[in-house]
Amino acid sequence: MAHDAVWWRVAWRNLWRNRGRTLVTASGLAFGYLAAVVMVGLMDGMNAMLIENGTRLMVSQIQIHSEVYLPERNMHRTIGGYGGTDVDALLARVDLSPDVVASSPRLFGGGLVSSGSQTQAALLLGIDPDREARVSMLLDDVEGRSPSAGAFEIAVGTEMARQMGLSLGDEIVVVAPAADGSLGNDLFTLVGLVRTGTPTLDANYAFLPIADLQYLMAMDPGRIHEVAVTVTRPWDTEAIMSALTASLNGDAGLVLDVRTWAELRPELAESVALMDSMYLLIVIIIFGMAVFGVANTMILGTFERQKEFAVVRALGTTASGVGRTVVYEGFILGALALAAGALITAPLMVWWHNAPPNLANIVGSFSWAGSVWQPVLRVEYSVKAPLMSGLALFITAVFAAVYPAWKATRIPPADALADR
Amino acid sequence: MSRFHGFRIGRALGLALLAHGLLGPPASAQTSARDIIDRVDRLMRGDSSRGTMQMEIHTEHWSRTLSMEVWSLGTEFSLVRVTEPAREAGTATLKADQEVWNYLPRVDRTIKVPASLMMGSWMGSHFTNDDLVKESRIVDDYDFEIAYEGPRDGIGVYEFILIPKPEAPVVWGRIEEQVRIDDLMPVWVRYFDEDGELVRTLTFSDFQQMGGRLVPATMLVTPSDKPEEFTRVRYADLEFDIEIEQEFFSLRNLRGRR
Repeated sequence: MAHDAVWWRVAWRNLWRNRGRTLVTASGLAFGYLAAVVMVGLMDGMNAMLIENGTRLMVSQIQIHSEVYLPERNMHRTIGGYGGTDVDALLARVDLSPDVVASSPRLFGGGLVSSGSQTQAALLLGIDPDREARVSMLLDDVEGRSPSAGAFEIAVGTEMARQMGLSLGDEIVVVAPAADGSLGNDLFTLVGLVRTGTPTLDANYAFLPIADLQYLMAMDPGRIHEVAVTVTRPWDTEAIMSALTASLNGDAGLVLDVRTWAELRPELAESVALMDSMYLLIVIIIFGMAVFGVANTMILGTFERQKEFAVVRALGTTASGVGRTVVYEGFILGALALAAGALITAPLMVWWHNAPPNLANIVGSFSWAGSVWQPVLRVEYSVKAPLMSGLALFITAVFAAVYPAWKATRIPPADALADR
Repeated sequence: MSRFHGFRIGRALGLALLAHGLLGPPASAQTSARDIIDRVDRLMRGDSSRGTMQMEIHTEHWSRTLSMEVWSLGTEFSLVRVTEPAREAGTATLKADQEVWNYLPRVDRTIKVPASLMMGSWMGSHFTNDDLVKESRIVDDYDFEIAYEGPRDGIGVYEFILIPKPEAPVVWGRIEEQVRIDDLMPVWVRYFDEDGELVRTLTFSDFQQMGGRLVPATMLVTPSDKPEEFTRVRYADLEFDIEIEQEFFSLRNLRGRR
């Protein structure tokens, strides 16, 4: 190894014989690294936005149901069966997970909403307004206020209100098939107009406190259909889902079906997977270009040193020793470039993550794929991108040195020294 | 809501409300299918009727029995009011022309069933609101043919196939119906979807004299996809050609005088 150390030293010294060229080459690699990490970070950011925009309106990132609830969404299939469950205890157990940001119970019903001579079919969503506000954006924009429990209050979508000519304070009859087969009906007061920005939601949904909807549908207070959950890492719900499944099931005799947004919105998951598959492509393109630049420099460098190599060979150095120096040069160049790249990339990422440019002034927010979008270009950190790019940079530097190194070993000492 | 999607009560209730005239000779083989069905309907339906019935509903999740009082005038008007159980007494349905209205005594409101919910279950049963209104149009909406004429289990029957006319706004792909030749009593009606799958079966039984006419006093609906579920309607009494005005079938009267 001592012998090897000599070649490392030679390589290091060789690098600094043409300082300018080395710096330019290293800078090229460092900026390639920067570009790769930031590009992937931006795509991660877009993915996170895609997931968040696609889930935060209503779906949320993880949903918990009775194992027989999906896909039919039969109203009788509440968590814990006909008897229901201790909802507060269930929510407390969900919230116990360190990955859970917030959870919210939901009860679904279908029925009629009627006022005066106007009647419409409506999807009735029973919610806990406080908890729901932390999980979804459903109640972010309410004219008036959210309905409070026990007072027979209701909020409806703005479009439904417009179609039916409703205004705040109106008396509304809600009719819904109840769990016992009867036709539940009660009078409610309209206290809120909900604007989600999604036409189907605004035209079809009515929001009631969960307890009032349970009463209307002749259900016990322990009966809910769904617990919606938001988590700390939306792009990593798979592991969180497994942990929740393990921790919730078996307890209190419940059999629960825990699903991630990726299962609930497969089309969204496909988009994200498509974006993910581009990571590697980006890295390959960037370093694929870099590899020729580096190789060019190294070839020039070895060509310049032809005579020098011939001399050391003539003095008894093995061909592999000569080749190794050149490869080691690539190694050292890569390490330098990586250090420099990390040094310039880290602060840029931190800045871009914390102060992402908001293009809302230019393009405004928009509704696409069933969700409302804020055009914010934020980069997300990941472990994968810097590691992958670093590895790619290193491979590029070393790989670019392989051909020149091979060339260097092929130099016939006598011919080179004789300038033939 | 759409679990009972596609069922129709009208024909069922209509037939059950029917009275069967003693007049009229049995149809001959030469008579066209349409004429027979038309005659079945006409002979069996009084101009007006009043009756009481029990509706027993069994589903996977609950079972219940409702007692009801029923009035009808022609094919266009009918009114059904729940009398038992007490908790739901007064709940009523009015069918006038193509519209269906519900009265909910608890909130003291009448509500017109919107088009989007016409396929919804009627009173939790295996009938839909649409069943109420489409019944009067069956002769207009379908083409009829006799698929079979002869003995079945020792009784002479007609079997009809009803195919919807191309432009008819109906939900069925095909309806099959068996009628006894002797007395023109319906035996069963089978409803198929557009893929030719049997969706539900209506079975008539308990043929007896009520209000001076032979009627099937019991009618059973069974959905094919949930064989353990059913709705059974049983008439306790029926009277025909009663004195009743069109004004009776009004929103004001729907609220009832309890």
